[in-house]
Amino acid sequence: MKAGADNAAQSASWFDPFTRWMLIIMFILLAAIFGAAKYMDTHHMQGGGTDDTVNAMASQVAHVQSHPFIDLPGDAQVGAFSVANFFVGMIIGHNWKKLFDTGQN
Amino acid sequence: MHIEDGILPVGAWSAWYGATACFVYPGLQEIKRRVRENLSYKPFLSMVGVAVFVISAMHLPVPVTGSCSHPCGTPLAAIIVGPFATAVISLIVLFFQAIFLGHGGITTIGANDFSMGIVGGISGYLTWRLLRRFNAPLWLSGGAAGFVGDVMTYLTSAFELALSLHGHVPLVRQWMIFFAGYGPTQFPLAIAEAVFTAAVLQVMYDRRPDLLPQLANGRGVHKTRKPARESNAEAGK
Repeated sequence: MKAGADNAAQSASWFDPFTRWMLIIMFILLAAIFGAAKYMDTHHMQGGGTDDTVNAMASQVAHVQSHPFIDLPGDAQVGAFSVANFFVGMIIGHNWKKLFDTGQN
Repeated sequence: MHIEDGILPVGAWSAWYGATACFVYPGLQEIKRRVRENLSYKPFLSMVGVAVFVISAMHLPVPVTGSCSHPCGTPLAAIIVGPFATAVISLIVLFFQAIFLGHGGITTIGANDFSMGIVGGISGYLTWRLLRRFNAPLWLSGGAAGFVGDVMTYLTSAFELALSLHGHVPLVRQWMIFFAGYGPTQFPLAIAEAVFTAAVLQVMYDRRPDLLPQLANGRGVHKTRKPARESNAEAGK
């Protein structure tokens, strides 16, 4: 009986309230991004960034060639963002736990 | 607002570096002072810094205009860690975005920090303070700060470009031409930033009001439930 109680105490739920809320918010955001991107795709919109648009406008006005400090080719940009976001998540999670953890989980 | 290398002339980007330094130096002083005063400030600052990094690199599609743009995160940062400290963390954020992600340039870090970290942060912070002074609810003050800070960031970027490149075209006209490149996509994202800023501030207040004394003045806070720490303490009695 006691062993069963210990096991229950040591078990962890798959979806604690925090995880559940984070997943719900993530899926809502991803669905919104997917919906927006799909709409743009079906209407043959470019979907380029406004930063690029305005940099191109400015280059045209100034008759110069602008360039970012580095230009990551192809999927390298996705890789760089993924690495950065992974560690951003770790750091935010680590500090969030230190500052806002309620001890309930 | 990530202006790239090669657009601004040397005199212009040097001047923006100088203007930014005028805010970064007091920012460093603010950080030193607040670290001494509050043990929680360091983890707050690092958490907010990486949050600004990812928020300001997060391109979201806006179907109305058929283009993508990103929020800033600096109005929220200015409310939580202070407007001058936000200038410092934005400078670091823009440096890493330039050298690793191909966002913006090195020569333009001063100009980009001035628009995002300084004008975006301070305008959001002042909006927040103004509305709180008139007892506006926390969510409304935070939301308005997010919206104003976001739009002001892009207005400033467009102004920086127009100031250097307007030539024979009237400055205001060139400014609005550049802002027209940002504005239609940025307004929906400014609304999203408003919602995000309001939600984060409310969650932080609900969980640890003691860490946010500037929020916890008891005026207009949306109290749906007791702060988590308080509830736990009562449950433990």
